[in-house]
Amino acid sequence: MPASTMQPNLDQLAGLTGVRAGALLRWQATGWPDRRAEQWRFTRLSRVEKMDLRPAEMAAKQPAAVAASLPDNAVILSFSNGVLDMAGLAALPGGVTASLLSDNDAALAALAELVPAAHPISNLSLAAMTTGLHLDIAGTVEVPIILVFTGDDNGVSAHPVISVRLAHGASAVMAEWHQSSVGLSAPLMGIVVGDKGRLDYAKVQQESSASAHLAATGLKLGEGSVFEGFQISAGGQLARLETHIVLSGENADCTLSAIYLGRDKQHHDITTNMNHAKGHCLSNQIIRGVLDDSARGVFQGKVHVAPDAQKTDGQQMSRALLLSRKAEADAKPELEIYADDVLCAHGATVGELDDTQLFYLTSRGIDRKTARSMLITAFLDDAIDSITHPALADMLRPVSTAWMNATPNAGDL
Amino acid sequence: MAPLLEIRDLHASVGDTPILKGINLTINAGEIHAIMGPNGSGKSTMSYVLAGREGYEVTGGDILMNGVSMLEMEADERARAGMFLAFQYPVELPGVGGMSFLRAAVNARRIEAGEDEVDQLEFVKLVRAKATHLGINDDMLKRAVNVGFSGGEKKRYEILQMALLEPVLSVLDETDSGLDVDALKIVSDGVNLLRDPQRSMLVITHYQRLLNHIVPDYVHILAGGKIRRSGGKELAFEVEESGYAGIDDAA
Ligand SMILES: Nc1ncnc2c1ncn2[C@@H]1O[C@H](COP(=O)(O)OP(=O)(O)OP(=O)(O)O)[C@@H](O)[C@H]1O
Ligand SMILES: [Mg+2]
Repeated sequence: MPASTMQPNLDQLAGLTGVRAGALLRWQATGWPDRRAEQWRFTRLSRVEKMDLRPAEMAAKQPAAVAASLPDNAVILSFSNGVLDMAGLAALPGGVTASLLSDNDAALAALAELVPAAHPISNLSLAAMTTGLHLDIAGTVEVPIILVFTGDDNGVSAHPVISVRLAHGASAVMAEWHQSSVGLSAPLMGIVVGDKGRLDYAKVQQESSASAHLAATGLKLGEGSVFEGFQISAGGQLARLETHIVLSGENADCTLSAIYLGRDKQHHDITTNMNHAKGHCLSNQIIRGVLDDSARGVFQGKVHVAPDAQKTDGQQMSRALLLSRKAEADAKPELEIYADDVLCAHGATVGELDDTQLFYLTSRGIDRKTARSMLITAFLDDAIDSITHPALADMLRPVSTAWMNATPNAGDL
Repeated sequence: MAPLLEIRDLHASVGDTPILKGINLTINAGEIHAIMGPNGSGKSTMSYVLAGREGYEVTGGDILMNGVSMLEMEADERARAGMFLAFQYPVELPGVGGMSFLRAAVNARRIEAGEDEVDQLEFVKLVRAKATHLGINDDMLKRAVNVGFSGGEKKRYEILQMALLEPVLSVLDETDSGLDVDALKIVSDGVNLLRDPQRSMLVITHYQRLLNHIVPDYVHILAGGKIRRSGGKELAFEVEESGYAGIDDAA
């Protein structure tokens, strides 16, 4: 497709330099992911390609309030149409230093390294960056930092680019909360956790039903560091949460669990690429999906173990629950192991609610809808129980509860 | 006054297979009836049909509780109307906490009756008290429903649910199977506590022994999907003595 008719319309980006100029060239060369590309086999972007979009240039006039169970003591950084409200930076706790990526091409280059150079949407977001924020974190920061993304213009695409760098031994608690009605929300995140650092992380994708959410996150963990992450994908018409993780030092410990909740014609894609570059690291991914109506869910999870990454422990388990005959779940777990002394396991199942269990519950007088939601909750709790940070758990649980309560006709299975 | 339960010429199929072939049974308030019968004769099927399990299709006849047909009622509605089934094989519910399950069940009945939901703290006390009588410890109460319970523990847990729900009609499907001698006594005592002129029970068993503890008013022999003989409790001794050989199920 010629660059001039390709969406989003990037005419406004003339005159880019540095990393962004390079990214723009790569985007213009590839465009939207090739239909034959294996990584995009289950997630077609034709719905997004057809959207008439231009990158957002300003925040909404009236930034929306988010009715969410955010922790009381959290510091909130608000993005509207992908544009950061700078006033929020003043409230950042001690130990956190903010700067802008537009002034710091080296930090932008470092971030770009965390995701594959050939990843089209990352290149698009680097080029069309609506705000570039860099956070340097040192020491122990207990106050949760929550990035809230809203937006009101369905004719724009939002490309917030955020890099987070935890120094040696630093620890922090962060979350992304996406609840916008922009046409395309394409956040690009790059996170580096230094040696012996710790980051507790949560992401909630609750975009409006007409929005597309195409996120790319690059994550690099240093020696002896801990990352405990959890993602919920519940909103949007089409969403892909793609994460590339490199365990770059020994004894790093990475949990990256996720649930997706789909109804109507929603499409949710959780893609992870867990790269054990060094030995003695632990990775664990618990994925749960619940799909109603004609929703579709995809989990692609690759665990790569480098030749000298001995004593790797890489676990991955994905289970999907179909509530309707028209719902569909695909899972593509992949193990690529080049070391010989490792403990790796993966599994993927797709099932329905168990008739016998439902009968047992209803035979006790519990109505069918409640019985179903008890079983669905039990199914999801498997994953949600892996969140150890209490404030993040309290923030995430209501999202799945709300989804369950909003089911008008709880499927036909 | 209409009998508490009246089963009229009940025919039922599972899939396309007819299993129940014309059952007639009347249980008056306060009565305990026992059902015995060979393996595969349709006892559990009958209990599921009574409880309203999906896939167990009534192809003829009727089931009336206090004169009202239950055929159009879903399983949960029947339960809230006072029907209870103690399962032959209680179902494990991984991830469903025992206490919240018990509370949901009790509240469903209370809401139906126009009562307030149970007070959380009082409910815990009530459950503990009843559980202690049945030899169910706190650890079991904390676990997910039936998960990791032994066969006998599952049966006790069924009776705990029955004790909390105070059903009008209890169907106990082989609650005695898998129980040791002491547990049999404990569970029977639990059942007998619920004996009441307003309540009735249908006790399915293979063993006369249970009927020494839960003394029935009537005993019926089910074979080939039909009740072949009915009598007093002496019929159970006869079965114990000579098996089902004399029971004609050719019809
Ligand atoms: N889902 C099913 N599909 C087909 N046949 C079934 C099904 N469930 C039960 N049956 C058949 O129905 C018959 C009655 O089974 P049921 O479980 O009611 O027997 P039962 O009297 O309870 O036996 P037991 O004493 O062994 O518990 C059996 O022949 C059984 O194989
Ligand atoms: Mg049986």
